[in-house]
Amino acid sequence: MEKVVEKIFQSQFALVDLREILRETKPVFALTEEQKQQVMDIIKVVRESIDLVEKVLVGK
Amino acid sequence: MSLEEKIAGNIEVRTREELFLNIQPIQAAGRLTPEAMKALIAYGDGYSVCDWCRAPFRLDCITKPPIDKFHKEVAEFLGMDVARAVPGARRGFQAVTNTLVEKGDSVVMSSLAHYTEFLVVEAAGGVVKEIPLNEKNIVTGEATAEKIEKVKAETGKLPKLIMMDHFDYSLGNEHDVYGIGKVAKEYDIPFLYNGAYTVGVMPVDGKKIGADFVVGSGHKSFASPAPSGILATTEEWAEKVFRNSTMKGDLTGRVFGAKEVEMLGCTLMGANMIAIMASFPAIKERVKHWDEEIKKINYFLDQFLRIEGNKIASEMPRKHTLTKVDTIESFHIIANTHKRKGWFLSDELKKRKIVGMFFGATKTWKLNTYALTWDQIEYLVKAFIEIAEKYEIPLH
Repeated sequence: MEKVVEKIFQSQFALVDLREILRETKPVFALTEEQKQQVMDIIKVVRESIDLVEKVLVGK
Repeated sequence: MSLEEKIAGNIEVRTREELFLNIQPIQAAGRLTPEAMKALIAYGDGYSVCDWCRAPFRLDCITKPPIDKFHKEVAEFLGMDVARAVPGARRGFQAVTNTLVEKGDSVVMSSLAHYTEFLVVEAAGGVVKEIPLNEKNIVTGEATAEKIEKVKAETGKLPKLIMMDHFDYSLGNEHDVYGIGKVAKEYDIPFLYNGAYTVGVMPVDGKKIGADFVVGSGHKSFASPAPSGILATTEEWAEKVFRNSTMKGDLTGRVFGAKEVEMLGCTLMGANMIAIMASFPAIKERVKHWDEEIKKINYFLDQFLRIEGNKIASEMPRKHTLTKVDTIESFHIIANTHKRKGWFLSDELKKRKIVGMFFGATKTWKLNTYALTWDQIEYLVKAFIEIAEKYEIPLH
């Protein structure tokens, strides 16, 4: 269960980083290539974290 | 803008920092770092920092998370010897005035002092004596010395304390804290440096200034949630302001000798403590870039002044990002005949995703560009120019 808890925090923290990108680029949201890559990295972290949580807690 | 998603009941999710440029004058430097946001997620539970609290059972002595280390480092960061995290700058002021000021004592402070400086003196039974501003709306060392002499002549006693804001809340002007520090030493009067608008955004060295106390605001300038703040002092004054309890219960004989009286034991607990600690590395880095923030506000104002009738009420060139502007002869003239009156300017800005100016103001009002990127500064310039053009206000 430690891994599940770790992944929950990891995904929450990644979403905070995503929120920060919004704050840096508002109100036009014209992301640089580097920021777009950061968004992709964040999404990957969140997806992988949620997949693991689903697998452990729901058994899928 | 309100989302369908709610926190609970009718408590809305706050989205203005994600969707809008927020130029609200006192919110800019209190916006959280991502690290502070993560701290709120992980340490929101009530006594979250107390898991490893061991003897002497005091917040500033907790080693895990490293709250003790933070206190030492933040004192060093401010050029002082000892520091405590406190629930807001006002609680830092209060610890000092409770310690130094007795009934009828005079405390000299700026004519632009924050209201909480009045309140802490009043609560201690003291009397506020205001130092006049010069023709440039600045408090000087000379004016401070003159006021001290005046107080001495009137009351037969020297003031007990000098409290001075480095930059004031109203105009964001820089006051002569180095000169005032020198005067404080000459008269041997303790000097409280109010760094609510400096600690956390620009380098501050309390000893170099000549301060006996340095007070900072977490939620104004240290990227921390409210309430939070810092009180830092010298070894000499720490013994007095952070004095331990000597009270003994008459029935039980209980004593709480490790607890600091003015701190009421533990001060800034839980998520706020961890958030201010989490922002600290970013704070140490961002104070090195204060010059860039000053370039941005001065650039913005140069462009803002292209709009005929616009003026700057604060000192120029700007030394701080918090600035009061005067649009009486530009946007206020439009407001006089607009069906939305003064609200037209807020409406026009909001349409362009800009919020934070005092709603409905078109005479004199404040803004703050702290931490906006250059792209965001350009966006802000363009928005004001567009509004001026729309209402046919001439541009220079």
